[in-house]
Amino acid sequence: MKKLYYDVEKCLGCRSCEIACAIAHSQSQELSKAIREEVLSLPRKKIFVSKGKNFPISCRNCQDPKCVDACMAKALRYDKERGIVLHDESRCVGCWMCVMVCPYGAIRPNLKTRLPLRCDKCKDKDSPACVAACPTGAIIWQEEEIALSQTDKK
Amino acid sequence: MKQFVIIGNSAAGIAAAESIRTKDRESKIIIISDEDYPSYCRCLISYYLAAEIKEEKIIYRDEAFYQDNNIELLLNKKVQRVDPKKSRLILDEKTTIGYDALVIATGASPKFPTLPGIKKKNVTGFRTIRDAKAISGLIPVTHSACVLGGGLIGLKSAYALNKRKVDVKVIVKSKQVLSQMIDENASKMVQRRLEENGIEVMFGLEVSEIIGNGDIKAVKLDSGKAIGCSTVIVAKGVVPNIELIKEAGININKGVIVDENMQTNIPNIYACGDVCESYDLTLARPAINALWPVAVEQGKFAGLNLCGEKAVYEGSLGMNSIDFFGLPVVSLGLYKTNNQPALEEMVTKDENTNLYKKLMIKDNRLVGVVMVGDIKNSGVFLRLIREKTDISPIKGLLLQETFSYADVIDLVKEKERFYV
Repeated sequence: MKKLYYDVEKCLGCRSCEIACAIAHSQSQELSKAIREEVLSLPRKKIFVSKGKNFPISCRNCQDPKCVDACMAKALRYDKERGIVLHDESRCVGCWMCVMVCPYGAIRPNLKTRLPLRCDKCKDKDSPACVAACPTGAIIWQEEEIALSQTDKK
Repeated sequence: MKQFVIIGNSAAGIAAAESIRTKDRESKIIIISDEDYPSYCRCLISYYLAAEIKEEKIIYRDEAFYQDNNIELLLNKKVQRVDPKKSRLILDEKTTIGYDALVIATGASPKFPTLPGIKKKNVTGFRTIRDAKAISGLIPVTHSACVLGGGLIGLKSAYALNKRKVDVKVIVKSKQVLSQMIDENASKMVQRRLEENGIEVMFGLEVSEIIGNGDIKAVKLDSGKAIGCSTVIVAKGVVPNIELIKEAGININKGVIVDENMQTNIPNIYACGDVCESYDLTLARPAINALWPVAVEQGKFAGLNLCGEKAVYEGSLGMNSIDFFGLPVVSLGLYKTNNQPALEEMVTKDENTNLYKKLMIKDNRLVGVVMVGDIKNSGVFLRLIREKTDISPIKGLLLQETFSYADVIDLVKEKERFYV
């Protein structure tokens, strides 16, 4: 199962991923049109700086997702096969329980749409839009096992 | 093959059944519910009453779930009592059901104060889909309603009635709304948002009588004043449903007392959800934390331990998240400094933009958070509370606009695997 990893040493904090993410979740899929859409598409990942380094903060689609357990509307559910936490907008009531329990602060409330903003790994595309948008290769899209074996070596 | 019986078909009971099935596909599971409705998202009844969601969206687990997991569901059956000596349940119609292990997930029921008129028709609690439907059915003939109680349930029912164009007044005994969840500063912001949207809240008042012959005409207040209304919703808190075990020798305080395995003093009986009292991480004593995410969590642990795992539940804390007319509010752990001078407070507040954040700190550990208007990172705060993280290195960052999980990576317990 492929997941998103981030090389903090390579991240410049240019926010290209944020823009690509917002476009990828817009109606038009084009920047020039997306910024004029009635409901402005917002990025699901955000860059935060800590101790001089840039950290893209984004939903990890956890395998034991606290947000799914907390969802009192059953709007969130974990799709095991695809390794994605899926969100059914038609069931969501905007109670923000998911925001309250996300251990990574990776779910943000969109107060306008009353829907949570979180990474869906661009589930209907070949790969997440942020990966291609990153100019330095700081966003890595790879199988979980490979990533785990690499971090364990360190 | 064993027989596991779960009393209660909501968050805790279903989570228990699901976690049993992760360990044991064979044993028989029976879920008993005294409601006549399939399992539903209880917290959504206010949205249903507000007509913001359709009835089909309220279903939590459909029929297929029970079939796929080989669970026998008994609806509309009330367990009269539990007989631990014979490991069996006695149901209403004198039938008994034996069990190898039992999960008590019976939840709670609205508290009704003793006062004249409380038993009248159109005086209702707000706990079940049946309540919501009953109130909904009255809306065409309801011009005005009174809600007794300014807690979460009271305000949510008032919100729903307001959305359905019913003139609604909330009568609160204390001096603020949500007095069991947030402090006065936060409650003023919530109150203002409610009032801006046409919900009137009256403070320091108790209802002394519900007046009317047959139909309700008014509620009479202890101040002597009467308020005209035809529907009354009682939202004065809930009590755990423990009648069925009162004589069973199971240790009870306000709720069923469980240990860190969600086990009662009787080894093959577990309890979880709104009926149980488990260790509270911020109060440092047993408490009932009646909310959906806690019920699911506790249910999972009850199910695992019933299957012989030794899964330790570290405890829960009082927390909640709610949104009134676009104003989000989150409360985690402690929310008032009452009589606890050892607590240090950090606050940012802007009344013009309805922004309020209060962090409460004890011995460099976060023990309470109240957030209004901006609730992002509340999950990170929850984690710091749960893990009792020493926050001294990041104290100055916590209320900064730029604060994020990145600032706590080195402080939290889990080893980071996503940043390489």
